[in-house]
Amino acid sequence: MPLPLDLKGATLDFILLGQQLANGIANGMGYVLIAVGLTLVFGVLRIVNFAHGAFYMLGGYFTYFAVQSFGVHYLLAVAIAAFLAGMCGLIANQFFFRPLRKEHEFIILLSSLGLSILLTNGSELLFGADPKYIESGFADATLDIGPVTVTQQRLLIFVLATMALAFVYWFIRRTRYGKMMQATAQHPEGAALTGINTNFVHAYTFVLACALAGLSGALVGPTAMMFPTVGDWAVLKGFTVVVIGGLGSISGACIGGLLLGIAEALGGGYISQGFAEAIGYVLIVVVLIWRPQGMFGISRGHKS
Amino acid sequence: MNKRTTMTALIGVVLAILPLLVGSKYYQHMLVIWGLYAVYALSLNVVIGYLGELNFGHAAFFGIGAYTSAILTTRYGVPVVSGPLFAALVTGLIGAVVGYLSLRSTGPQFAILTLSFGSILFTIVNYWVDFTRGPMGITNIPPFSLPFLKIDFTQARNMYYVVLVAVAITAYGCFALMRGHSGRAFIAVRENPQLAASLGINIFQTKLLGFIGAAALAGAAGSLYAHYLSVITPDMMGLQGVAAVIIMVIIGGKGTIVGPMIGALVYVCLLEVLRATGPLRMVSFGALMTLCVIFLPGGLISIWRRHMNETRLAEAGNTTVEHP
Repeated sequence: MPLPLDLKGATLDFILLGQQLANGIANGMGYVLIAVGLTLVFGVLRIVNFAHGAFYMLGGYFTYFAVQSFGVHYLLAVAIAAFLAGMCGLIANQFFFRPLRKEHEFIILLSSLGLSILLTNGSELLFGADPKYIESGFADATLDIGPVTVTQQRLLIFVLATMALAFVYWFIRRTRYGKMMQATAQHPEGAALTGINTNFVHAYTFVLACALAGLSGALVGPTAMMFPTVGDWAVLKGFTVVVIGGLGSISGACIGGLLLGIAEALGGGYISQGFAEAIGYVLIVVVLIWRPQGMFGISRGHKS
Repeated sequence: MNKRTTMTALIGVVLAILPLLVGSKYYQHMLVIWGLYAVYALSLNVVIGYLGELNFGHAAFFGIGAYTSAILTTRYGVPVVSGPLFAALVTGLIGAVVGYLSLRSTGPQFAILTLSFGSILFTIVNYWVDFTRGPMGITNIPPFSLPFLKIDFTQARNMYYVVLVAVAITAYGCFALMRGHSGRAFIAVRENPQLAASLGINIFQTKLLGFIGAAALAGAAGSLYAHYLSVITPDMMGLQGVAAVIIMVIIGGKGTIVGPMIGALVYVCLLEVLRATGPLRMVSFGALMTLCVIFLPGGLISIWRRHMNETRLAEAGNTTVEHP
């Protein structure tokens, strides 16, 4: 008799592992969306945007209000939220980053820090400090994939995030605008000399990055709560991923994000929830001792 | 130089008699907070202003200093007067580890790395409930005291003088540092690392030295802060805390000694003045800070500098050629 029981235990362990992995990948995709935006803005504009998490928060709130106040279907609300977050990004770029293009990187970092304080506290004023729960209709429904059970929301995060990333890949690699972005990232002056309007490139890069952050907020929102300071959490996760993957590398952001999501899920499942909070930092230290520039980072070029 | 010495002495005298001039306890309390923040901002200024690297993890050192001192004095019976020393020792050691790992990168990467290390330290303090009591914080921290002297340091006026001595020592320390060999090495590394290296300056060691010193100083300031307020929570190490101290240094003027002190004053006063705006407080604060950064990148001290340069130019114009 003991033998079959043990075998059953082993399969249970295996199912649990699969469960943790599935959750980890879904959370990781949320991180990837945040981190890709951060790394795009750094790569093209050379800006470390501290306010990036605020756009995640805005995406969550836009979805909440679209669903709750206007009764829009959740999926449409997600699209609206991503669009509006992108538009907020456009405004932010115009007022907080474009005037400072020629200044020292400190100043730009601080301007983004100011923007972050402004957006976080402004949202607290407008939306209230109490956590909001986004009703998506997918969060409670589950789906069985073999023995592993995932909520439909997590599946939705995975599918939509993958589509968004595929779009970003296509946009950067295949379109004229994407090639202009690459040129600007490689050499801003050279790009300008060939007739590329770098200000325009900066603007739509910022819109794309903020829309991705907004999309992440809209998708991840229903699995957690939305509150004004959630942006601080989001930007820290984004930075963790970007440091692991390497600043300026999109594939680094993708792999780093999934790695962080999975590591957190496994750490939380097998060790303790408190440890899950810290595991990203453990990853950072390990990766940095091994490769100071991050897994896929290239060493820093000329200092502007 | 003579003019400068008189100015310094004058400011020193004014600062020394200030709490006697302002009778109200409320203003005296604000003065103490200003002094503590001034030391804290000056310590960050070593990294931001002199080494030229943006450190986003500095609040963690302030917090660790406060926690070290609080835990040692409340649980292990360590005399309060040695609290700042122990705090400086512990934060200096942690600063050495953090600096060793993060100073290998520069610029934005360094900023993000220090932010991550700051978050690690915050997470440890926030989650290690058995040792730090986590988000509940530590209460009933004994007030600062000196051996053999019976002075009540819960009084803001008395504490102010302790803090003022700390500010004076720190300011003089920064002044002496910048006059000496190490300070010049800092500037050389900031302005042109390749050239500095070619002159035989060990860049990594120089930066690490500055980083450790700044961490230790922040720890000592944190210790005094804990003994003055008697309650500390991990919040002081969070992102808001980081933003606060960076704002002080930048608004005042990085790379100067008076700048961060002015920045600390502006920060303390502004938050009090904006208290009247209620929920708009942090919003208007963020807006003011951003405006200051956009229109006055050199900080408040740059207004004074510009003014001095203009008068100097005008004087030079009057005494020499009218229109060259």
